[in-house]
Parts: sequence; structure tokens; C-alpha cells
Amino acid sequence: MELTLDMICIPSEDIVARVIEDELVIVPLTAGIGDADDELYTMNETGKAIWLHLDGGTSLRTIVEELTAEFNATSEVIAEDVLGLVAELVQKKIVVVQ
Amino acid sequence: MEIQEFPLWAKMEERKSLFSFTLEITARCNNDCRHCYINLPPGDQHARSRELTLEEINELADQAVELGALWVLISGGEPLLREDFPEIYLLLKRKGLFVSVFTNATLVNEEHIALFRKYPPRDIEVTVYGATAESYERVTQKPGSFAAFTKGLDLLFENGVNVRLKAVVMRSNFKELPVIAEFCRARTKDYFRFDPQLHMRFDRNEERNMLIRSERLTPEEIVALDRADGERFSSLQKECQTLIDSAVGHVGCDHLFHCALGQGECTISYDGTFRLCSSLWAPGTVYDLREGSLRHAWEEFVPKVLDMRSRRPEYQENCHNCTLIDFCLWCPAHAHLETGELDVPIEYFCRVAHARAEAIQS
Repeated sequence: MELTLDMICIPSEDIVARVIEDELVIVPLTAGIGDADDELYTMNETGKAIWLHLDGGTSLRTIVEELTAEFNATSEVIAEDVLGLVAELVQKKIVVVQ
Repeated sequence: MEIQEFPLWAKMEERKSLFSFTLEITARCNNDCRHCYINLPPGDQHARSRELTLEEINELADQAVELGALWVLISGGEPLLREDFPEIYLLLKRKGLFVSVFTNATLVNEEHIALFRKYPPRDIEVTVYGATAESYERVTQKPGSFAAFTKGLDLLFENGVNVRLKAVVMRSNFKELPVIAEFCRARTKDYFRFDPQLHMRFDRNEERNMLIRSERLTPEEIVALDRADGERFSSLQKECQTLIDSAVGHVGCDHLFHCALGQGECTISYDGTFRLCSSLWAPGTVYDLREGSLRHAWEEFVPKVLDMRSRRPEYQENCHNCTLIDFCLWCPAHAHLETGELDVPIEYFCRVAHARAEAIQS
């Protein structure tokens, strides 16, 4: 399934996301998340900003608009970042498409 | 990414955050191992009545997570003895903690397997006391325990649970060590680990301590075991100089603790007692979490313990200035378990450390 900006994505119920020392940390809860069961995921500032917008109430397009207003970058660049990261997270089952 | 490689670790270390903790959910065990420092009978009602409840564990786990903890080791006693083990395990997983479990594997059943398959542990660590029923049960003092152990272990391996094996070596099983090593190596690709040094019990039960003493190997026997395992011996040789060099820094300081105490880890006893490490039970170094909070223990109590000092001449002139101190099993915690004092040299540890160092440096 190809990800589009009209989709709504939310964090999977099979992971636990935590903020430790201002860093976003994603811990798999069930088997089959990511590449290994004991793998730990962290995100850079951009990734963290995108993650914090995945609240289930907004489409990826809305998230791009909100981030464009927050960051000094064009919507095209932001859209590429959002689709790239979310696609990877969907593939790893950390995020699901609603 | 392995937890140890996690870049946040450096930041947490710098801020002296709590990174991991051991949660001993019971002191009771279905085995009765001769060398064990903690085991109480499975039906010990007093011990059982003092165990942390599920609600208390939930509260403590919340506090640990709030302090930044990322990893918990569920230990005991035998943790699977608690009927609510699945609830405890899942509760900790749902907090976003990596969970490891120490178990003797004898009580592993299909319910545990289903749990571990769906919610994988970081690892399950099992101690191998013997590779035959005769030697295994000589240690555990429980007929039928070897069959239960192999059944549980097979269940774990057959279902792809990440199991790590280790051995503890004592008089009752040391002649079988090569067979134990073979048993472990046939089942995992891990480096085979064994511990030949036994320490005394947390409750200082003299009858049980006598049993532990009777299981201790002589320094010469321990050196012979070191030498017999080429991989282990070369690793010891490699690490030895670093350990010896690090001891130089103790000179001119009267602090008691020179180990990693209070650096990111702690232990919570079955009854809610906070300890800085699994061996440190001395009065004045423990904190009752039922009367306080983990944050207070970590932020206010730990620095006080770390500031404990000793000017006892016997200690200052021996262990404190010994260049083998970091290579020796001696530490204030073990000294207390042996003698009731934190700063008394222990002759047995001293003889073992010198014999091993001599062998390694020769």
C-alpha cells in the first residue's frame, strides 16, 4: 500500500513511546515490531516533531501544513520527510494506517 | 540497537539517571540450592506475606520509568513461583521497559511460553547447576528438578525464546564443568560463562552459610578452572591489567565504595527494600520503599551511602591499598555478608584474588 498525504496514521498499540531526557524512545511491546524484539528506536528532532503530530485526528497533509508553519522549510521538503519517515514506521509496524 | 550502544546512555550516565533495576519479586524458591544466597522455602508464609503486591510493583515501576529506567531484570528467588508472574511481566512491558528474567526454568509452562512468544523478553537467563540429574539435584536438593529443568528449557528453546545460559561452579558440580559447558554450548552460541565464587546469604543464616562455605572451591581449584578454559583465561589476562591499574586511584581516599555502585542501577527486594546493588544489605545502606519513594531513594539516599567512609586500619592497610581490589570478590557488600562489617578484609577472597592474579600474570 502506497502512503499518501490524505491518510491518517497513528502509533501502533504494539509499541510504547517514551520521552527520556528529551529524547523520543520507542520500545517494542510485542513480537514482530521492527527488525528485532530487543531493538530500540530513537528519532532526531524532525522525526520527533512528526511523531508528536501522529495523534490520530489529523491527516498527513494537515501534519505537513502544521510542520511547515513551525519549521523553516518548504511544504514539499516537509512532505517528503513526513512520507519517508511514516512509510518506514509503517513498514516496521511502529505506526499503523487508520 | 543494543541497549548498551544506545546513545542516550551517555546523557543518562552524565545526569546520574536510573537506567535499569533488578526487581526481586520473591525470595522463595522451589529449589533449595546449596550455594544460594537468598532462597527461602516455597511455602514460607512470612516471606510471602511481605512480598510486594501487584499494585505496589505497578507504583514502583511507574516511579522507575519516571526516573528514566529502560530495563528491568525480574529475579528472585524463583520468579515463576508467583502465580501473578504473567501480570507482573506484562505490567512491566507495558511501561515501555525492556524485561529480562532470571529463572531456573523448572516451572516454565505453556502459559509462560505463550506470554513470551507474544511479548518477547529481552532475554531469559537460566543457570545450569549440572548436566546430569545426579549433579544437578546434588546442588538443588530437589528430586525431579533436573527433569523439570530440561523440560522447561526445551520449551523455551523450541519456541524461539531468547535464552542465555550460565553456570555456577561449586564443590558439588565442579568435576562436571566440562560436561556443563558442553551442555550450554550445544544449546546457545553465547560465550560460556561460569562463576566459581560464592558469597554468603542476605539473611546471614549461619546454618546455610556453613553449607555455602563447604561448597567453595579452593583458590588452586579456581585457578585450575580458569586455566582449563582457554578463552576465559585469555580474556582474564586481557582484562587483568586494567583492573589492577584502576585500583591505584583508591589511595589517599577513605571512601568505602569504589565500584559502580549508584551508577544507573539499583535493586528492589521482594519486600520493597531499596538496595544499591544485589549484594548490599547492610543496615544504613538500604531504604524502605514502602515508607518513601524511589526518587527520594535515588536522589537523596544514594549519595549518602556513596559518601560512607572507613578509617579502620585493618581495611586501610589491606584491601583499600591492594592493587588487586578490583580483581577481588571483596567489596564492602560482601564483607558485610561475611562478617557483619563493611570494612573487614576476607581472607578467602584475598587468597583467591592473589592466586588468580599470580596465574594470570605468570
